[in-house]
Amino acid sequence: MLKVLDHLEEWIIALLMGGATIIIFVAVAHRYATGLPIPGVQDWLLGLNMSWAQELCIYMFVWMAKFGAAYGVRTGIHVGVDVFINQLGPRKRAFFVLFGLLAGALFTGIVASMGAHFVWEIAHTSQTSPDLEVPVWIPYLAIPLGSSLMCFRFLQVAWSFFRTGELPHHDHGHVEGVEKIADVDVIPVAIVPDLHPKEVLPRGHPRREDQ
Amino acid sequence: MNAAIIFVLLFGLMLTGMPVSISLGLTVLSFLFFMTDVPIEAVALKLFTGIEKFEIMAIPFFILAGNFLTHGGVARRMINFATSMVGHWRGGLGLGAVVACALFAAISGSSPATVVAIGSILLPAMVKAGYPKRFGAGVIASSGGLGILIPPSIVMVMYAVSTNSSIGALFMAGVIPGLVLAAMLMGTTYYQAWKGDYPREPRRSWAQRLQAFRESVWGLLLIAVVMGGIYTGIFTPTEAAAMSAVYAFFVAVFVYKDMGLKNVRKVLIDSANMSAMLLYIITNAVLFSFLLTNENIPQAIAEWMVHQGLGVIGFLLFVNVLLLLMGNIMEPSSIILITAPILFPIAMKLGIDPVHFGVMITVNMEIGMITPPVGLNLYVASGITKMGITELTIACWPWLFTMLIFLVAVTYWPPLSIWLPKTLGLM
Repeated sequence: MLKVLDHLEEWIIALLMGGATIIIFVAVAHRYATGLPIPGVQDWLLGLNMSWAQELCIYMFVWMAKFGAAYGVRTGIHVGVDVFINQLGPRKRAFFVLFGLLAGALFTGIVASMGAHFVWEIAHTSQTSPDLEVPVWIPYLAIPLGSSLMCFRFLQVAWSFFRTGELPHHDHGHVEGVEKIADVDVIPVAIVPDLHPKEVLPRGHPRREDQ
Repeated sequence: MNAAIIFVLLFGLMLTGMPVSISLGLTVLSFLFFMTDVPIEAVALKLFTGIEKFEIMAIPFFILAGNFLTHGGVARRMINFATSMVGHWRGGLGLGAVVACALFAAISGSSPATVVAIGSILLPAMVKAGYPKRFGAGVIASSGGLGILIPPSIVMVMYAVSTNSSIGALFMAGVIPGLVLAAMLMGTTYYQAWKGDYPREPRRSWAQRLQAFRESVWGLLLIAVVMGGIYTGIFTPTEAAAMSAVYAFFVAVFVYKDMGLKNVRKVLIDSANMSAMLLYIITNAVLFSFLLTNENIPQAIAEWMVHQGLGVIGFLLFVNVLLLLMGNIMEPSSIILITAPILFPIAMKLGIDPVHFGVMITVNMEIGMITPPVGLNLYVASGITKMGITELTIACWPWLFTMLIFLVAVTYWPPLSIWLPKTLGLM
């Protein structure tokens, strides 16, 4: 059940990201293609209205941001100022970590309920968005849905931290695909073992196993 | 008084180690709830409308483009090109590292990514060639900072968004300072290499150089897409970012074939993860700046500062010190989003150019990345070299010193940054 939710979350953000890119690409291509004097094609292109592309892109990214933020809790990408609590003893540190996670759950919980209230109110009006002309409560639904999911993720991470003491940790230095490289001509044949890139960033880095 | 409460609350929450975005949001909620009668529902609307700007969407697109291209091969080709050009001088691989970082910075908007991409290839090679580990680590950790100064730069987009400045003008303004800093870092590198009598690479023929250039040209063309597109007005910055993402996808998958189509999903998810984190901070920072404006805090501080007779020179000095200190404990996006709404009105009142101010802040952020305890570049370099943070900080010292001199130049000599965008008619 949770696995399904995890996959759904990943697919949603990946599709929104890719989709928004394609939409803007098509909109720009369309804008310049209409200027080309190709008989027939030009009239057809001029007939297409792409003015909604920007708005749709914004909505897609807002949705991506809300669900991605929830995914980010699971991957531990939301950074804080942890220099000071890292100086504390393990018990005190654990206390602050839990405090932070629960504060996150509290904030997102409040936002989710406020957002739900807000969407409910606005759904009873006839407001529509300027370009797409959809009822505005539909895009705004991102706030309650995304924040609830995020709240759930905070509680989930807090619970697993409470039980195992493990936190998801995002490695900001990780760059996909760098580990494969060894055939650069500036690198002499043998490579000092303790400096081998494989040592640094192996595939399935242990700190990323939570994903 | 209210200002004091807000900032004590914010810093208190931040020091507990909770995500910066959450501490911003909680500060706003609790202040509005306990101290004012602003309807809390206004917050819900802000949470959506806060990021409802097309300019902000440049951030996810640039991250996506960067993630497609950091996928291995591009960095390797750029290093080959860079070392073929400057490798025959004393300390050649070190100089090559600076050039490669600068080239890579022009296709990626992030510093730590630059350090990893260049460092994990070049550092082993440098150690093997007889350079001290310290030297290599210092060069790469500090040159990686060029990533946020040379456009495209995510940090600059953040600044532009939170101060309503022009992204195009800021990008152009970053070009000359970026090149100057790269030259200064090369100077320091050369001096260190000359002092330590470090090795050099065999000189390459022009044919070999052309070959290396031809191999790396697909990556380099991305610069033309972004800068050319924005400058000629073919694209808005956000559109340019989207185009560069599509271009980067084609180059990575079909031209260089560094990654297969099956990896695209992973790249999309990773980019979405990073972008969502940044957008989430932005959302909450918008809330926070709404609170500040609502309480008239930036204006009050501006009044007070001008009243104190703090001139341009004193103010810029103050800003530099403040940002350098904050750079020690926080990451750049959060610093910019928290401080810009407060510092920007003061700068405007003193008649400082918004673009110049933005470039100066960016250079500060760059230095913050190689100063402990929280310097992302240091962490990343420490991952590659297995050196401690303290040792790395010492290793970075000559370049850090160079950067501080450069910061003074950028701060007190505005033409360095605003000449190019002015000449090009972007501002």
